[in-house]
Amino acid sequence: MTHTEVRSPELVVTAFFDAYRDRDPTAMTDLCTRNAEFRYLPVEIWGKQRVIRGDGKVYGVGKAMWAGLITAFPDLSNEVVSLSANPDGTVMAEVVIGGTQASAWAQFSNRGRAYSLPHLFVLHVNDGGLIDSITAYWDNASFSRQLGHLEVD
Amino acid sequence: MTAATDAGQDRAQAAEQAGKAGKAEKAAVQFFAALQRRDAAAALETLSPGAEVIIYPTDQRGGPEVARAFFDEALAAFPDLLLTIRRSRGFTDGRALVELTFEGTQAADFLGAINQEKHLDIEQAWVLATDDDAITALTGYWDQNKLYRRLAVKRLDQIAIA
Repeated sequence: MTHTEVRSPELVVTAFFDAYRDRDPTAMTDLCTRNAEFRYLPVEIWGKQRVIRGDGKVYGVGKAMWAGLITAFPDLSNEVVSLSANPDGTVMAEVVIGGTQASAWAQFSNRGRAYSLPHLFVLHVNDGGLIDSITAYWDNASFSRQLGHLEVD
Repeated sequence: MTAATDAGQDRAQAAEQAGKAGKAEKAAVQFFAALQRRDAAAALETLSPGAEVIIYPTDQRGGPEVARAFFDEALAAFPDLLLTIRRSRGFTDGRALVELTFEGTQAADFLGAINQEKHLDIEQAWVLATDDDAITALTGYWDQNKLYRRLAVKRLDQIAIA
């Protein structure tokens, strides 16, 4: 019988951001449960009929969002500034994400600008060593300004 | 050293880390509970004089005076300010996280946005570092674009123009 060691929550989250740095959404989602929750709180796009929010599942909204961002910013990278773990599997990560825009992203037409933005991620890793929830915070006003857009919406 | 001794040391270390995490969470929750009581002085008393304060959405960084200015302005601008903690956690390195909803009706200018008596509700996350009962660092994260949208600001280069 083989025994597979379950990685610590810190190592799982480190591997997640390594995969993000490698611009590999499949490897990112492979570190998550099939029904992992996804909440990107700043995502709130007001259309004429409805508001699109960054709420849903990692395998749905999350993977699509990561793939879209990587397409729009082909040199997308990240630096994990700090990582803290709670005994219940919660991991808090302060991460600076940045890249240079090469195509339109969400409401932002491409002006060829680069951005660098502090993010806060709160992830939970289950007993099996998989991420089952991801919540993120960042400032879209700074993101807009850096990309050359000044409209609030 | 025996396996039993190792297990005992692991348990002791785990208990120490859990204690540190619990203490950090308690200090963080008490900080925001004081603000919810509109007692900024009591909250800020728990910040050490050398505390590093960073509020990314307002591009402010410095010492406790930065936190004092921000929370004084928030309490003045939102007389009915409601801070609802959605989740709090302490961590084994002595840091803590508070995720809260910052909610109220604007009654005075706030962060450059003129008062249009709009209702604001914004999800914030605050990261605190602690050393015993003192808070040694405070970092704020939220989406300032969403905050401006709620307060009817139209452009990032014209915050004070509705």
